[in-house]
Amino acid sequence: MFNKILIANRGEIAVRIIRACKELGATTVAVYSDADRSSLHVTLADEAYHIGGSAPAESYLVIDKIIEVANKSGAQAIHPGFGFLSENEEFAQRCEKEGIVFIGPSAEAIRLMGDKITARKIAQDIKVPLVPGSDGAVTDVEASVIASKIGYPVMIKASAGGGGKGMRLVRDKEEFESSLRMARSEARSSFGDDSVFVERFVEQPRHVEIQILADSHGNTLHLFERECSIQRRHQKVVEEAPSSAISAKTRKKMGEVAIKIAKAVNYSGAGTVEFIMDQNENFFFLEMNTRVQVEHPVTEMISNIDIVKWMVRIAAGEKLPFKQKDIEMKGWALECRVYAEDPETNFMPSPGLLKYVKAPSGPGIRDDSSIYSGCEITSFYDPMLSKLVVWAENREAAIDKMASALREYIVLGVKTNIGFLIRLMDSEEFRQGKIDTGFIERHPELLTPGTVDLEPALIAAALAIDDLEETEDSSKQDQSNWKLLGRKAALSGGSLI
Amino acid sequence: MTYTFKIKDKVYKIDIEKEKDQTVIQIDEKDIPVEFHKIDDHMYSIILEGKSITIGVLRNGKKLQIFMDGNLFEIEAISERDQRKAPQTLSGVQEIKSPMPSRVVKILKEVGDEVLVDEGVIVVEAMKMESELKSPIEGKVTDLLVNEGDAVEAGTSLLIVSSE
Repeated sequence: MFNKILIANRGEIAVRIIRACKELGATTVAVYSDADRSSLHVTLADEAYHIGGSAPAESYLVIDKIIEVANKSGAQAIHPGFGFLSENEEFAQRCEKEGIVFIGPSAEAIRLMGDKITARKIAQDIKVPLVPGSDGAVTDVEASVIASKIGYPVMIKASAGGGGKGMRLVRDKEEFESSLRMARSEARSSFGDDSVFVERFVEQPRHVEIQILADSHGNTLHLFERECSIQRRHQKVVEEAPSSAISAKTRKKMGEVAIKIAKAVNYSGAGTVEFIMDQNENFFFLEMNTRVQVEHPVTEMISNIDIVKWMVRIAAGEKLPFKQKDIEMKGWALECRVYAEDPETNFMPSPGLLKYVKAPSGPGIRDDSSIYSGCEITSFYDPMLSKLVVWAENREAAIDKMASALREYIVLGVKTNIGFLIRLMDSEEFRQGKIDTGFIERHPELLTPGTVDLEPALIAAALAIDDLEETEDSSKQDQSNWKLLGRKAALSGGSLI
Repeated sequence: MTYTFKIKDKVYKIDIEKEKDQTVIQIDEKDIPVEFHKIDDHMYSIILEGKSITIGVLRNGKKLQIFMDGNLFEIEAISERDQRKAPQTLSGVQEIKSPMPSRVVKILKEVGDEVLVDEGVIVVEAMKMESELKSPIEGKVTDLLVNEGDAVEAGTSLLIVSSE
């Protein structure tokens, strides 16, 4: 096991990793940007080093600076978390060169799975089901021909893409040209690469993914599936494990396919194989994420396996002590991503000073966050405030628990999506599991509070302001008494105390 | 103490009556006894007819953020105290005058009506724009000098509010 580990990330995932490393007995090293001096990951780590400006390109994305801190602090390994350098082949290579262990797969596996076109080719070679589409990047003319051949609706996707950027759904031929242009321009500005590919759009698709855990001794296991169909702007908002849409048979098959893909690239560590699934449980390979996933906690809750700790242990050369048949799935877990954003204005981020937070607690409730009263939510980073995770014996109980836990949350100073998440938990269609990636778009009524009884809020406002003014009045009184006393003392030639 | 709040352009009035060990809220002409306890600077517990409600409160000047059941409400508050403080130089009898040549669109207060500071009393229209004229003091409407539809000159007295 490593004595010292550098965590090349920020926010809740850095906090999550720091905790795991500490529990494993390692000394933890945090890195931070200007904006993150007072962030929780800095205060929680054993050591912390400043690495530059607030913009990620000046700090968390600068390989040289992170390597320099690792060498200076004597860290033997680096955990990259998610985002930033986590799927950067060059960074993994550089770690290797410097004799630092990159906690993740090999640079080669990152390269193969990082490029979506290469990943698709690999999947094709090992006969993994794929959504029909172009075999790789296409020219404008090719794109249009292929789109007509596979049939509309089609999806245009950036080859280097992720997080929904550079993605366009096209319903008919007339829209194709302008959508292609927009996808390319978005891809160019987001990834510096405007190559795109085209594939058939699966109607009412569900997003189901398999968690992989592989050691460097040839053991590759899966920890079942997660369903992440509730998305806004192609980004996940609610995740659950297991999926309410798949049978035991499909689960087994999907798990086997995911293992096959991981093995094809000699994968080690934790990874996620994403699938798109239609309403008849037909699933197609989407991509593999070669890092820890935001939503990994739901899998931890149902499998009782600490994924982050295993990532560290695997990187240190340990062998997985359990076999596939030993892993059991128990109960139901849900995760809600609490964002500082306004659902009423198309989920516009709401940065600012978070004046006050009170997080829910209780049995089966886990709040993975890095926020505290008085912390600043800056526009430099993702506006995710917390991942609220619950576990219960079945889906219905988990939803009830989540709805109740969300109601315990109090956040003041920035707008949040908590009200929206509560309405989502209460919605009949969600409860029945009738979900797909278009769910939020289909339910705009969930975005606004609707008819809320304002009476308690108004009463609270009146009582609070009354109380605040009384306090202010009495403190003013105190101040003037002290002043008076001071003046008296000065006049009589003495001083106070 | 009476409080006036604005949420998304809607105005609400709430009255707090404090007896020895009992607080009664008057809202919509209903009397509701409440139990109120401050947990910390931003969290309040309210018991309303047996219902226990926890609410987050953040005050920024006259703006209040109220967080309840996952929803954040932005409320603008005008307290009676504010109303008393502001008009100290303005008291007695105030004439509400037309600021420009205009037409009276709507009369919001009749003779005998009570008005608060900054409460709209009359709406006039000039250059296709409606503007609400507000009372600078708290008091009662004693005279109404125009009718709806009247054309008036700049400086014409429209309505008189008296604080006594």
